[in-house]
Amino acid sequence: MKLYFRLVSALIKGVEPNDKEKKRNKIFYVVMSIIAGFGIMLPMAFFVGIIMYTATGALMQNGTQENGIEMFLHLIAVFSFIFGLNVFFSVFYFSGDIENLLPLPLKPYQITASKFTAAMISESVMEYLVIIAALAGYIIGGNMPLYSWLTAIIGTLTMPILPLIYCGILCMAVMYFTRFIRNKDTVNKITGVFTFLVIAGIVYLIAQSGFDSGKLIDALSNPENRLLETMNIIFPTIPLLTGSLGNGGILNFLMYIAVNIVAIAVFMIIAQFIYFPSVAGVGQSMSHKGKSADMTEKMHQISCSASYLKKELKILLRTPAYFTNCVMINFLVPVFVYLAYLINGQTNFLDSFIYGIRSGNEETVLIFMIGISAVSVLVTALNCIASSGITREGKHFSFIKYIPVSYMTQINVKAAVSIIISGAGMLTGVIIACLLLNTGIKFTIFCCLLSLLSVSFATYLGIYMDSINPKLIWDDELNALRGNYNIFFNMAIAIVTEAIICAGAYLLFKFTPTGSILIIIMLFVILMILNAVSYLLCLRGGVKNINSIE
Amino acid sequence: MSDVIRSDEGSETMIKIENITKTYNKTVKALDNISFSVKGGEIVGFIGPNGSGKTTTMKILTGIIKPDMGKVTINGFNIREDPIEAKRSIGYIADNPDIFLRLKGLEFLELIGDIYKVPTDVRRSRTKDLAEKFGLTDALGSPMISYSHGMRQKIMVIAALIHKPPVWILDEPMIGLDPKSAFELKQLMREHTKEGNAVFFSTHVLEVAEKLCDRVIIIKNGHILYDGTLEELENQNKNKSLENIFLELTEK
Repeated sequence: MKLYFRLVSALIKGVEPNDKEKKRNKIFYVVMSIIAGFGIMLPMAFFVGIIMYTATGALMQNGTQENGIEMFLHLIAVFSFIFGLNVFFSVFYFSGDIENLLPLPLKPYQITASKFTAAMISESVMEYLVIIAALAGYIIGGNMPLYSWLTAIIGTLTMPILPLIYCGILCMAVMYFTRFIRNKDTVNKITGVFTFLVIAGIVYLIAQSGFDSGKLIDALSNPENRLLETMNIIFPTIPLLTGSLGNGGILNFLMYIAVNIVAIAVFMIIAQFIYFPSVAGVGQSMSHKGKSADMTEKMHQISCSASYLKKELKILLRTPAYFTNCVMINFLVPVFVYLAYLINGQTNFLDSFIYGIRSGNEETVLIFMIGISAVSVLVTALNCIASSGITREGKHFSFIKYIPVSYMTQINVKAAVSIIISGAGMLTGVIIACLLLNTGIKFTIFCCLLSLLSVSFATYLGIYMDSINPKLIWDDELNALRGNYNIFFNMAIAIVTEAIICAGAYLLFKFTPTGSILIIIMLFVILMILNAVSYLLCLRGGVKNINSIE
Repeated sequence: MSDVIRSDEGSETMIKIENITKTYNKTVKALDNISFSVKGGEIVGFIGPNGSGKTTTMKILTGIIKPDMGKVTINGFNIREDPIEAKRSIGYIADNPDIFLRLKGLEFLELIGDIYKVPTDVRRSRTKDLAEKFGLTDALGSPMISYSHGMRQKIMVIAALIHKPPVWILDEPMIGLDPKSAFELKQLMREHTKEGNAVFFSTHVLEVAEKLCDRVIIIKNGHILYDGTLEELENQNKNKSLENIFLELTEK
């Protein structure tokens, strides 16, 4: 057991920022944590809690209050499973420490159990917050007894076990039984496509309900909800956990613990038999054999910036972890826009909005433009192309410093990459939305400009944030992005700034006689000022930060 | 044009490091007031045990890290005041060749060629020549992630030399190279210095230093213990092998 805890501790330290990185800027971490806590985590937890409280109250009238929390926890479990797949393939088979762990006299179940625990702790922080918030809403909404809180805390910490055990077993089975997936790139491509399809499917199902909460409550009120029954079979711990929160739940709680223990035992037995045979012979990438013809004839000189830009784009597009996390996400925007419009044909939930835009209703037009700016900032922060621009250099960060190219030129090229990719996704989405809403060319151009200004602001802000404390020690590209606090902090600052601007713009329209056109002009001016500020931050602070990194 | 430093004998001083001190985390003194210079036409070996300050010195020379005090001049350019021109004069091989592994070998060389503004015809002939010398011609079209450690080291060597820089700073350049490639690199180093350029490289292999270097600098705990020719060192310690002399010096 001592060995297990030592291994877990060593593996977690491998993922977390090291002491040197933490010490480099203690105040930065404290301030950013406060902003992230109050800007993202608490509002999100509050939002989840309120939804669950309301749903529980509504469902109590039919005595089916468990259905709401169960469905929500099943959704969390499904997401946990989807995102866990990539993580566990990476952790079990492709992380840099595998080559060091395998020669040690450790049993397969010891390696997999410690890797499983370390990955679960590192990956589930946000998940814990969402689960406890949902359970809190359920307990308060359902007037549960006091001891329910204790059960809820234990349940929060243990609920991710089962979905992640499914991930672990599936990863080992796939690697054991298939011979074509022997490298990280193939795994990343397959899990990336799978994630995209599942998320698109979930969004489609939710959208097909017409975003009608009444219909959803009706479905959940049905004691014989088939979807819920099926999910309860797949994740049996969830009904046991929700059952243990109410009166007389001690038996359910004991069964909940027992099922988790059985699942862990099954996982360790399977790992004992198939982990070592499946981990043999895995690699980082497929080998490619180039042509032996004289390739030097293809060489030709281009400008340094253009060449650097090509390098950045190629790395983003060719590295599956970056492609799925940084590039693909941008092109979900136009897909969702078109999907929402298609579904509207069946449910009409967007009709009043579409009518408002087409008829030039000031409030609707303002909301539309504010929305474009907000989504542009959010997507640019979410794709983390900018906020991981320096982090992605990793162990070869020194390249930035020893080449004869100024740091600001390199920052500008990294910014250009983010603007090109984020802008491409956003502009496609904006143009599709404007075409579907029949807004006219001038309005479309304004919307595109607004989107680009927002993307550019979030880009330079992201690069500056990354320059403060880039995570340069990682052995797997996915680790450069996951567990990277800079990306999270940048997202928090971008969201808080944009929320203030958007809320300010809307409140100004609602509670003062200021017209929408004037507010939109003000929005443009504010975004231009923010662009100048974030650019200057990079020019002054970003360059200084890069200079001081050793 | 650079304001080239002239040494006592009249040949150009290509690398000059003056009173450099570097402390990590305010406690660990990696370099303690070290000074030396490398003239054009010289191959200088930098020898010392692990953790002696070799890589820190190399990184200060290339502008990767900032010294606490002191001055570095490369080909007449102060690395702090004129970093771009100083860096343009350097061909540097870092201690880790795992860089931009998603790029093909040829793409990486193109990037380096563009950064150092190497004209198309020059980079074509130079790449062809160097790739043939290091047996890498057939691999140029493959992503570097599929290369062995040795092949990655070879591509780093080609990248460092493609722009014909007057100053070569090489951190353990022989690691991972097969005997033929190591031989070719040593030949290139000799040819390069014959043209009046400078080579400064770190190594743990005393035989390489013995056969190749005009001068060696031995460093330990951030202090320079010896700076001179190996002949002088052997004359001062008659009947002792170079290995013994090195061990005696560094274990004092």
